[in-house]
Amino acid sequence: MPVSRETFESQVLELLGRLQGVARRLTRNDTDAEDLVAETVARAWRALDTLEHEAAFRGWIFRILNNAFLDECRRRGARPLLEPLDCEEPEGDDEQFSIFEQMHQPFLLWFSTPEQQFLDKLLREDLERALATLPECYRIVVILSDLEEFSYAEIAETLAVPVGTVRSRLARARSALQKILWQQAREIGLAAKAPAGQDWGDDGSAPRRTTERSKKGKVT
Amino acid sequence: MTKHEIDCEQALDQLVEFIDHELPGGKHDALQRHLHTCKSCFSRFEFERRLKEKLGTLREAEVPSGTSERIKKLLKSF
Ligand SMILES: [Zn+2]
Repeated sequence: MPVSRETFESQVLELLGRLQGVARRLTRNDTDAEDLVAETVARAWRALDTLEHEAAFRGWIFRILNNAFLDECRRRGARPLLEPLDCEEPEGDDEQFSIFEQMHQPFLLWFSTPEQQFLDKLLREDLERALATLPECYRIVVILSDLEEFSYAEIAETLAVPVGTVRSRLARARSALQKILWQQAREIGLAAKAPAGQDWGDDGSAPRRTTERSKKGKVT
Repeated sequence: MTKHEIDCEQALDQLVEFIDHELPGGKHDALQRHLHTCKSCFSRFEFERRLKEKLGTLREAEVPSGTSERIKKLLKSF
């Protein structure tokens, strides 16, 4: 066995926080996340002889985590899935949503661009909420690329898809994420296009949290 | 304009790989040169880069003590 028990243990403990973090964003709840991490570690131990060398550990164990998550989703099949677990790759669907294109006004001075102000006002919780809303197959690539800083090759290995698929899926995932952020922003009046008061939520509700926003820390 | 220069459309096509640092050196440099001269693309790329950076701040490495205990116990049981 190329990887010793001691190495396995130390690698697991070193990556535990990140495994837990990814699991929590996949399952969207702490208890399920803990179960998923435990299941992942148990599966990894049983499959240790499939790990060729220590350097591949991270990609290898996140792949096991992702598979364990998908298996658990399938097992709970009774839960109506709102979105497909496995990404369909639509042919010729190049439509990209971009907040930049929605907001950018080329004739404004650089230091007061609305899209940069939009980013300045984005809170951690706005991003968390948007990420949680993203379909699983898109969420995982955003988590692995933007949060965990995996390379395309590592993501490809983790998800068992070609690198080209990683690239196109990331492009679609970011587009989808921006669409969600944009909708959220409009709901709370952050990116209202119509005069204030006319563009808040379909139910005509007043913007929530506007008073809280000024007090809370921003994501920098 | 030499054959190594790229236009806005080509720049935009490479946006995702550029901000992910996945473009090979030559292409990366050509795109970088375009961004130095094109304010419109620069603003667009800057927006995407900052959004990615903000997402990066969500990463956590903190483990709830309960989870940590459970995994340590599990590791001992192997
Ligand atoms: Zn340009």
